[in-house]
Amino acid sequence: MKFLHERLPNGLDVIAEVTDTALSTSIGFFVKTGARDETDAEWGGSHFLEHMVFKGTHDLSADEINRRFDWMGASANAFTSEEDTVYHAAVLPEQQLEVTALLARMMRPALREEDFETEKLVILEEIRMYDDQPPFGADDRCRATFFGRHPLARSVLGTVESIERMPVEAMRDYHRRRYSPGNIVLCATGAVDFPALVASARQWCGDWEPIAIPPRRVPLDARTTGSVTLESITRPTSTLEYAVRMSRGPAGDDDDRFAAKLLAAILGDTSGSRLYWAMVDTGRAEQASCHHQDFLDAGLFATQLSCDPEDAGELLAMIDTIYRQAAEQGLDRRDVEQNRNKLAGRWVLLGERPRRRLFDVGPEWAHSGDYRSVADDLRTIEGLSLDDVHRVLARWPLHGTGATVLAGPLPLDPSLEPASEAQ
Amino acid sequence: MKQTLHSATLDNGIVLLGEDLPGLESVAVAFHTPAGAIHDGPSRCGLATLSGEMMLRGAGDRTSREIVEVLEGSGIQWAQSVSTSHSSFAGAMVARQLPTALPIYADILRRPRLPDSELDNALQMVLQNLAGTEDDPAHRAMSALRQLHYPHPLGMPSEGISADVEAIGIDDVRSFVAAHVVPRGMIIAVAGRIDWHDFVERVSDLFGDWRTDDRSTVPIGSRGERVRHVPHDSQQTHIALAWSVPPYRHDDSYEASASLSVLGGGSSSRLFSEVRERRGLCYSVSAGYHTLRDCASAICYSGTSAARAQETLDVMLAEIDRLPGTIEEAELDRVKSRAKSALVMQQESSAARAAWIARQWYHLGTVRSLADELARYDQLNVASVEGWLAENRPAGLTIVSLGKEPLEVPREVSA
Repeated sequence: MKFLHERLPNGLDVIAEVTDTALSTSIGFFVKTGARDETDAEWGGSHFLEHMVFKGTHDLSADEINRRFDWMGASANAFTSEEDTVYHAAVLPEQQLEVTALLARMMRPALREEDFETEKLVILEEIRMYDDQPPFGADDRCRATFFGRHPLARSVLGTVESIERMPVEAMRDYHRRRYSPGNIVLCATGAVDFPALVASARQWCGDWEPIAIPPRRVPLDARTTGSVTLESITRPTSTLEYAVRMSRGPAGDDDDRFAAKLLAAILGDTSGSRLYWAMVDTGRAEQASCHHQDFLDAGLFATQLSCDPEDAGELLAMIDTIYRQAAEQGLDRRDVEQNRNKLAGRWVLLGERPRRRLFDVGPEWAHSGDYRSVADDLRTIEGLSLDDVHRVLARWPLHGTGATVLAGPLPLDPSLEPASEAQ
Repeated sequence: MKQTLHSATLDNGIVLLGEDLPGLESVAVAFHTPAGAIHDGPSRCGLATLSGEMMLRGAGDRTSREIVEVLEGSGIQWAQSVSTSHSSFAGAMVARQLPTALPIYADILRRPRLPDSELDNALQMVLQNLAGTEDDPAHRAMSALRQLHYPHPLGMPSEGISADVEAIGIDDVRSFVAAHVVPRGMIIAVAGRIDWHDFVERVSDLFGDWRTDDRSTVPIGSRGERVRHVPHDSQQTHIALAWSVPPYRHDDSYEASASLSVLGGGSSSRLFSEVRERRGLCYSVSAGYHTLRDCASAICYSGTSAARAQETLDVMLAEIDRLPGTIEEAELDRVKSRAKSALVMQQESSAARAAWIARQWYHLGTVRSLADELARYDQLNVASVEGWLAENRPAGLTIVSLGKEPLEVPREVSA
């Protein structure tokens, strides 16, 4: 496995992790833009634009794009998050030139008004689809409260209103500002012909005009993310109650982010964790889990619970007790060892699939300008100690803090309101 | 492409399958026992799922917690699942951990403790999962579709029905495990960085002296009604359609599934182009092929807001009706290309290959080589697919809608 990098004169980064034994080639354009980079008038625009990229260029129709991907046997898709918009395809190695050219051309979409209005209907259907599904918007609401006025508060899909009132000109302007070559990484993994990849990038992306990109990092307001809040969304027909809680954790540039992931696994992995044995194994909750998520300038622990509506208050209190005990009494070495092996095993399995590696290598470079091999990550995971996990617990306690949003059939139980000592 | 497949059968009937995947560090192993949901029995829908869960709650000399601690502490990613035909236990790991994993799985399969003290927790866990599926409208629509379309009990939900699960006792679980978790009909598949001879030896030591049998047969009943609306207070209406096509073991299943892929398999498929791209009616729309051993169906799905659901259904039905006689060579070439590419890329995942070779054995009684499989796709042409479609026009559709209002279904569609 080897890593290669070249930067075009206009600033586009071309990177590859080459595995000689791989049977496939994965190609991705990682655009460093997402919901956090939108203005109020552009809310939901990054994700809407991701759809519009598939609607064609000035000399390529939407049907032609779809036909070409299928003709290549490509497994192609795209996604948008708070910080990234990613277009990706996995193909057999002989299709590398063709698929790179197609994705590259798509990065300069026509953004026709007629397509824009038709696709708007699809976006509105996507918003309704998620609104009908658990956790019924509790995750978006929780993030909005937790981040307050920070740009990460913005939800990816936008709202029915923000999408309906968005004009095509706003999207064209957003695309011009954000899809600058210096803001894009072309990443490939698997069986990659790197010289050919660079040649493709020069041919299709070499004339993209660079535009200055403003800095993205914004300091977090500790008063907002540190406060204790409780909200509820009432869904009379929901069977279960869904709860999402977010509290502070290490950011993407913090060395403690690996220890934070280990801590989250010990406390709340979907199997074998403290929350699992207390609530899922006993059938008290459908789900009770915790994971760590990091961004450029922020990090959080997200706790998710789904259970019988009558039990929500009691189980949330139980989760808080489990977190408090971990902080006050400490964890033991066996917890650390077992979960370190679990994460390492997971990493090896994910690491040997080039189609999956694309989503580690691409974002790492886009966010930090670094490359980390599977071996680098494994060394870090295997080097984590009980002290590291305890330090994370001390720096970012999970108990008695955080924004909580409930969604379910019952009105908010007043006994769940945050106690005054925590405010 | 060079491919090395292995198979062996133990005296007690257990079939062992293997595939070398050079270049991988991992091994995936899967144990498929014949204790599928088809054996749930009257008023016991969910018994196979509850039994599978109970088998993990203590086996051999380990408690439930010790089993998970050993597996996870060894970096083994484990999974347990129940389908209509099988109750399956699987693990994926770094190759050197296989000797640790095999005896644990042998305990789970041969020496489950099935303690009365764990029944209530396991039962509550299954009920929690069922309550969760109540909040998933797409899942509910598809589940209703399968129940109506397949002859009873083939379409019953393997996850269970709450009222049935609540009535299950520990004796039901113990009888179920004793009767159906047996060597005959069991498939153990392994793929990745394997040493086949070592694997066969270890499995023979662990499972070779296992001598129980299951001679029971399940009576197959009748199917449900053709059209059903499930009232649900949601913004979107979910539409699910099915009609019968040949099962995977029939050779013309390739023609059937290719025609379905033209209809709704990729982003250049007809349903995606017409329903989503041109009309913007929905976010998701698709058609696919679902097979059991003796019967199979074409399944189409879409979810869209209530006001546009009738138009969505009408367009889907029109595209289904238009399919025979209109397939173009370029469309079929894309379908073949997608299928072949997916098959080759599957070789990069030990877990996917272990599942695939077991599936092939269950349906065909053999494992087709990759070369044979790719050659079969090459044989597909417009004449063969159209020939099959001419004899097998989509007809007798089962139609389920889930949402606020029922939809108009033309009578001839479901006749």
